[in-house]
Amino acid sequence: MNKFTPNFLAFIFTALFVGLGLSYYSLADGRFIGAYHIGSWATWANAGAPNPDPYTKAFVSLGTTLQLGRSEGVQFVAQRDEGGELLLRECNYSIIGNAPPASFWTLRALAPDGHSITPLNATQSMNSKRLSRSNNGVATINIGSKLSPQNWLEIEGEGYFEVNLTLYDASVLSGFGGTINTMPIIKNKGCS
Amino acid sequence: MIKTTLWIFGGILLGLIIHLTLILSLPQIVPNNVWSIFAKIGAPGELITIAKPKQQEANILRLDPELAYAVCRFDLSIGPGIINGKLPNDFWSVGVFDKNGVAIYSTTNRSGGGSSLDIGIFNPAQTRLLAEQKIELESGILIVKVPRDEVFIVIRLAVPHPAMWQRYKETLEKLHCSHVGQNQ
Repeated sequence: MNKFTPNFLAFIFTALFVGLGLSYYSLADGRFIGAYHIGSWATWANAGAPNPDPYTKAFVSLGTTLQLGRSEGVQFVAQRDEGGELLLRECNYSIIGNAPPASFWTLRALAPDGHSITPLNATQSMNSKRLSRSNNGVATINIGSKLSPQNWLEIEGEGYFEVNLTLYDASVLSGFGGTINTMPIIKNKGCS
Repeated sequence: MIKTTLWIFGGILLGLIIHLTLILSLPQIVPNNVWSIFAKIGAPGELITIAKPKQQEANILRLDPELAYAVCRFDLSIGPGIINGKLPNDFWSVGVFDKNGVAIYSTTNRSGGGSSLDIGIFNPAQTRLLAEQKIELESGILIVKVPRDEVFIVIRLAVPHPAMWQRYKETLEKLHCSHVGQNQ
């Protein structure tokens, strides 16, 4: 009897730890199944599909995000820079490189709960149609509290944040065998 | 020791069963939050435009501030859903979602249709009636068959410049959304 109770407790603890832990871990950002990762960026590729896999379906049900249908576009989220460090509002970053083909795209800096962290009266987002580009057509977007040349998305506050890149009318991941070869890289330019 | 290992192994197996049960049952046991939000702000067949998300304030639906949004919720047990109207030539898209927030159908103005939006939403029984010509519709309407009665449709319209926001919002407000046979 004495041996049975610790073994039974270990059984229950292991079952709950594995069952709940695995569920949280897989739904938080789809590390196991569901999410498509490229560099710092991740997307739930099947979130807009008519028959998503069970993990994507559970992820969509849990959240309050208004998903994009597959033909409408696809949204990528980055929470880390190219070095794998979490994005911090106290730091300045450059997003360098072209986005995958799309009719247009937008880029936003958001707090983990989804609200914009740009100052009041500053621009809330970047739009591919309103960007300054270098001679080779590449646009560099600077994100941070420090005034920066070219395209500057000003942010304020402290703590972690994420960058959302939404491609509208994108051919990537649209069910026609499209793949993504490159995504812009996120470089840390220093912290205050 | 062997006995303890067997208990832990059994725990891992039960954990995997809990995990799979949780993942498969979540869409049924968790009421979709997006559906709940729209159910609170509009009746079936009523067009709602959503205010632009404000800086430093909660953006529950994680809306893109570069786009204007209109939503129409349908209960197809009342009758087939219809949404139509004119939209600008800038990018716009339409997504049809079920109660769980799963996209059933989506399209954009780049796929044809130009500036005209004319979509009918039908459940399987209504689609059969349509095939038997027992439901009368104007020609040229895009027919979308959905497996369930409760769906919502989202129209996204790209706003080329912040100064045009109000005008584009008014354009969305002029869209017509109703159930077939519903008093207009």
